[in-house]
Amino acid sequence: MMPAYYLEAAVVILGLVLMVMEAFVEKADKSLIAKMGIVGLLVVLVSLFFVSGPAEGDDAPIWSFYAVDPMALFYKGFALVTTILVLIMSLDYRSVLQHYMGADQEKPGAGIGEFHYLPLFTCAGLMWMASAKDIVSIFVALELVTISFYVLVAFMRRNVGSLEAGVKYLILGALSTGFFVYGLTWLFGLSGETELSKIAAALGNDDSAMVRYPKALLFSLAMILVGLGFKIAAVPFQIWVPDVYQGAPTPITAFLSVGSKAAGFVVGYRIMEPFFANHVAPQLVTLILAISGATILLGNLAAVAQENFKRLLAYSSISHAGFLLLALGCSSSTTSPVNVEGVMALYLGGYLAMTLVAFHVMCLVRAQLGSEDLSAYKGLSKRSPFLAGVLLVAMISLAGVPFTAGFIGKMYVFLMALQSRYFVIIALAVVGVGAGFYYYLKVVRAMYWDDAADDQSVQISTLSKVAMLTMVALIVILGIYPTPILNLFAA
Amino acid sequence: MPWLLLILPLVAALVTALITRKNGTLSAFISLGSVGATLAISLLMVLRKDDASPAFTWIAAGDFTLEIGLTLDALSRGMMVIVTVIGTLVHVFSLGYMEKDESKGRYFACLSLFMFSMTGIVLANNFAMMFIFWELVGVSSYLLIGHWFTKNDPVEAAKKAFLTNRIGDFGFMIGILMLWGMTGSIVFSEMEGGAAEAAAGHGKMFGIAVLCLFCGAVGKSAQMPLHVWLPDAMEGPTPVSALIHAATMVAAGVYMLARVSFLLSLTDAAQVIAWVGAITALFAAVVATQQNDIKKILAYSTLSQLGYMVMAAGLGDTNVAMFHLYTHAAFKALLFLGAGAIIYACHHEQDIWQMGGLAKKMPVTFLTFAIGTAALVAVPFTSGFFSKEMILLTAYEGNKTLFVIAAIVAFLTPFYMMRLFTVVFFGEGRSHHAKDAKEVESVMKLPLLVLAALSVIAGYGFVAGLVFGDLVPHEQVPSIVLVTSLGTLAAGALLGFILYKGKTQEVTPIGFIREKFFLDELYIVLVRLFQDAVGLLAKMLDTHVVDNIASKGTASTVAGLGSLFRRIQVGNLQAYAFLFGVGVILVVYLLVFA
Amino acid sequence: MITLNHYLFVSGLLFALGLSGVILRRSLIVIFMSLEMMLSAANLSLVAFSRFHLVDGLPNYNGQALVFFIITVAAAEVAVGLAIIVALFRARQTTSVDDITSMKY
Repeated sequence: MMPAYYLEAAVVILGLVLMVMEAFVEKADKSLIAKMGIVGLLVVLVSLFFVSGPAEGDDAPIWSFYAVDPMALFYKGFALVTTILVLIMSLDYRSVLQHYMGADQEKPGAGIGEFHYLPLFTCAGLMWMASAKDIVSIFVALELVTISFYVLVAFMRRNVGSLEAGVKYLILGALSTGFFVYGLTWLFGLSGETELSKIAAALGNDDSAMVRYPKALLFSLAMILVGLGFKIAAVPFQIWVPDVYQGAPTPITAFLSVGSKAAGFVVGYRIMEPFFANHVAPQLVTLILAISGATILLGNLAAVAQENFKRLLAYSSISHAGFLLLALGCSSSTTSPVNVEGVMALYLGGYLAMTLVAFHVMCLVRAQLGSEDLSAYKGLSKRSPFLAGVLLVAMISLAGVPFTAGFIGKMYVFLMALQSRYFVIIALAVVGVGAGFYYYLKVVRAMYWDDAADDQSVQISTLSKVAMLTMVALIVILGIYPTPILNLFAA
Repeated sequence: MPWLLLILPLVAALVTALITRKNGTLSAFISLGSVGATLAISLLMVLRKDDASPAFTWIAAGDFTLEIGLTLDALSRGMMVIVTVIGTLVHVFSLGYMEKDESKGRYFACLSLFMFSMTGIVLANNFAMMFIFWELVGVSSYLLIGHWFTKNDPVEAAKKAFLTNRIGDFGFMIGILMLWGMTGSIVFSEMEGGAAEAAAGHGKMFGIAVLCLFCGAVGKSAQMPLHVWLPDAMEGPTPVSALIHAATMVAAGVYMLARVSFLLSLTDAAQVIAWVGAITALFAAVVATQQNDIKKILAYSTLSQLGYMVMAAGLGDTNVAMFHLYTHAAFKALLFLGAGAIIYACHHEQDIWQMGGLAKKMPVTFLTFAIGTAALVAVPFTSGFFSKEMILLTAYEGNKTLFVIAAIVAFLTPFYMMRLFTVVFFGEGRSHHAKDAKEVESVMKLPLLVLAALSVIAGYGFVAGLVFGDLVPHEQVPSIVLVTSLGTLAAGALLGFILYKGKTQEVTPIGFIREKFFLDELYIVLVRLFQDAVGLLAKMLDTHVVDNIASKGTASTVAGLGSLFRRIQVGNLQAYAFLFGVGVILVVYLLVFA
Repeated sequence: MITLNHYLFVSGLLFALGLSGVILRRSLIVIFMSLEMMLSAANLSLVAFSRFHLVDGLPNYNGQALVFFIITVAAAEVAVGLAIIVALFRARQTTSVDDITSMKY
C-alpha cells in the first residue's frame, strides 16, 4: 500500500519524462510518446487499487487538503480511463494534426509530440481535483486542468477554427475563473477557513459570519456556481460549448466533455454538500433546479437542428449536464438508500463510455473521410460495420434506451427527482429526453438507412477496436448491472 | 456453481455468435461443450441435493429492490436435468442433422441462447427474472423457427409464434403485477408467505390474477385458444422441434404452474385451468388423427399431452403434471428425433403417405421409434404408462367429467400413433425418397438409443426418484383407472392398426378435422376485422388529432425553440462575454435576492 | 478609520471594472488585461479578509497563501494566453474579437 498522492506524482513525472524524451529524442516516431503514456497510465490505473489514505494518527499536513475516499478514488480512475482513451484517439487523429501543423516531409511528426504528453498533466490535475478538499488545492488543480486545456484546444495552430476555439475558451475560461476565485475569496472571508471540512463545521456555529450574513454567503456561492457552471456547461454558462467543441481537435473535445465535466461535478459536490443541510439550502436547491431545467431544455432543443455531429454532441453534452444537476439538486431532500454521489458516479461513468465511443468514431471519420458533418456518416454501416455498430450502441445509450448505461443513469435521476417531488423539472426533462431520441436516432438513420456518397472504407487499428469494444461492454454492463458503482458509494 | 449453469451457455452463445460464427463446426463443439458441462453440473446437483440458493441485489432504488437469485429445490433441480439431458442429446443429434447447413454457426449460437434462457426460467427465484427469461426463450424460439429465413413459411411461422406468445405474455405480465400488488413481493418464496392472506383479502381479484398468470402458460405451452403457433412452429429444424417445441420450452408453462402451485390451491380459478387443459388435450388429439405431416401429428400429440399436464396442474396436483412432463420430455424428444431421422433419410419429405416400408430400411430408427410410441400410448412397463396412470387417477379423483375426456384422449392417442406408425414403417415405399432411404449415421443414432432407454426406465421409481426426489407421486391406482387405461390403449391401437394397415391414402378423410376445425381461418378473419376497426380508429385519430394538433404543433414548437436557442450562439466573443455577464446577474439575483 | 468594508468596496469596484472591460473592449489583449484585473480584485479582498480576520492576534495566513497561488496561476495563464493570441495574430493578422466569428449557431 502506498499513499494515494503517489499516483498524481507518478502521472506528473511520467509527463515530464515524456516531455524531455520528446525534446531530445528527435528521430523517434512521435506516436511512441502516446503509447508510452498509455502504458504508464494503465500501470497507474492498476496501482489505484493499492493506495491508502492516512493511517491512524497520521496528521501530516497533506491530509488536510487531500481526501482519500471512494469518491476521490472513483474519479481518479475516471480521469485515468478518460486520458488513456484520449491518447488512443490522439493516435488516430494524427493525420489531421499533421495537416494543420504544417509538417514537412522530413519530420512528419514535428510539433505533434506535445499533443501526446500534455493530456497527462491535465490528467494529473483531474486526479488532484477528485481529491481536493481545500479551496487552495481546488483552485490550483482546477487551473492546472484549465490551462493545459487552453493549449490543447488551440493546438492546431494553422487551423483557424482551432485557434478561434482556443481564444474563446481562453477568454471565457479566464472570466469564469475570475468569478470562481472571487467566490472562493468571499467564502474564505466569511468562514475564515480554507479547508472544506472546517467550513462545514463553522456552519454549525451560530456566531459564524456565514450564518450572520446569509446574503453574503449566497453571493459567494453564486460566484462559485458561475465558475463551476462554466466547467460543466450549464445554462447560462454553456455559451462557449458549441463553438469550442467544434473547433478543438476532436480528442480534446472528448476530453473536455468528459474529464472537465466530471471534475466540475466532483468539486461542485464537495463544495456545495455542507450547504445542502443548512439555512441556505432552499435558495440553493431552487437555483440548481432552475439551472438544471433550463440546461436540459436548451441542450436538447438546440441539438435538434444541428447538422454538424460535433456541435450536436456539444448540445447533447449540455443536456447531460442538466440531468446531473438535477441529481445534485436532489441532494438535500432524497432519503433513499441510493445516494446522490452514487447516482452521479453511475451517470458520469455511463456518460464517459458512450461519449468517448462517439468521439472516437468521430476521430476516425474525420481523419479518414475529412468531415465532421452528419452527411459524412451516411452509409457508415457499409464503410465500416464495426464503427456503425459501436456508434449505434453509444447513440441509443445517449438517448436512454433500456439496458444501456444511459438509461439506467437517467432512470435513477428520475427516481430521485420523483422522490423529491420536482414535478416541473421532471416534465421538462421528459420533453428533453423525447427531443433527444429524435436527434440521436437521426445519426443512426444516417448510418444505416442513407447511402454513402462513395464506397471508401474506414480502417481501424486493433488498439482502437479494443478501446471501443471495452467502452461498449461498459455501456451494456452498467446498463444491466449498475449495483457495483452504487455500492461503492453506499454509506 | 449453480451460476455456471447460466454463465456457460451465455458465454457459448456470445462466443459462437460473435467470434466463431463463420466456423460452423467449431461453433457446434463450443455449444456442445457448454451444454455437456451444464449436464454434468445438473447431475451433480441432483446427486448432492444442493439447495443453496444464491442471490444478489440487481437494482436497488428506494424501497424497490430487484434481486437476481436462483432457486434450487427438488423441482428446479429435476427440471434442470430434463433440460440439460434433452439439450445435450439434441446438440449431438444436430451435429449430424445440421451438418450440411450453411449457417450452422448461427444455429448453434441460437441453441446456446435457448439453453441460457431456459435455464434462467428454471432457476429464477422471482417473477421479474422469470419474465425476462420467458421473453428470451420466446426470442430464441423465434430465431430457431425462422432458421431457414430465406423460405417464406418458416418466417411466417416464426412471426406467428412470437406474436401469439406476446398475447399470452401480456396477460402474464399483468398477472405478475397484480400478484405483486396483492402479496407485496415477486420473489416466489416470499409470495408463498403472503399468498393465503392475499387470497382471502382480494377474493375474486385474486382468482383473476392467477388466471392472468395462467395466460403466460397458455401462450408458452400452447393451450387453447393460443395453440395455433405450435403446429406451425414445426417449420423449424427438427432437432429444434424436439428440444424446444416438444420437451422443454413448451413445458415452461407447466413448470411455471408447478412453481406457483401454492397459488393454484387457493382459488377456484384452478378449475378453469383444468378445463382449458382438458379441452386442449381432446381437441389436439382429434386433430392429430387427420394430419398427414409427420411433424404436425407429433406437434398435435404434444399439444394433447401438454393439455394433460395443465389439466393435472389445474386439478391441484402439480407433482403429477411435472411427472408427466418428465416422462413426456424423454419419449417426445425421442419421437421427434426419430421423425427427424426419417425426414433426413427421406430427403426432407414429411408427408407420411409418401413414406412406408421404412422398418426394414432403418432398423434402429424403427426400433427406437417403436419404443417412443409405446411410451406415448402408455404401454405397460414403459415410462408413459406410469405417468398417464397418475394423470387419469388425478382426473378420476378430481372431476368425473374430466376423467371421461381424459379417457377419450387416452383412446385417441394410440389410434393416431398407430396410424402414423403403420403408414410410415410398414407396407411398401410410396415414393422414390422412401424407397432409397438409408439408416442415419451413428451420431444421430446415439441420441435415439439413449432416449429410447430413458423412455423405458424414466418412469420407474429409482430413476424418477433420483431426479425429482420425493416429488414423484406414488399412489395406489384403483382398478377402474387401470382398466380404462389398458382398455382404451388396446381399442385405440387395434382400431388404428386395422384401419390403416396396407393403405396408401387416408381411409376416412374428414376435412373439418384435417383443417383443425378452421380455427386458424377464424383467427385470421377475427384479427383482420379487429385490425381494420382499430386501423380506422387510429387513422382518424392520427389525421385529426395527432397530426394536426399534437405532432405539427409539437414539431413546430420544438423547431422554433431550437432555432431560437441556436440564434443565441452568434459566434462573437464579446456577445458571449456579455451573455455570460447577464447569466451571472441572473444567478446572483435568483440566489441572493429572489 | 479604514474598515474591511472599504477594502471590499474597492475590490468590488476593481472586479466590476475588469468585467466591463471584458464585455466592452474589442482588443483581445485589453480583454486579457481586464481579466487579470478581476483576479487582482480577488487578491485584494483576500488580503483584506486575511488582515481583518485575526487568528491569535496574527493575520489569517491561509488567505495570503491563496493569494500567492492566484498570482502564480495568473502568470501561467498569461503565458499561455498570450501565446495563443500571438498564434492567432500570425494566422489572421488580427486581435479584434469582431474578426473571429467563423463558428456560430
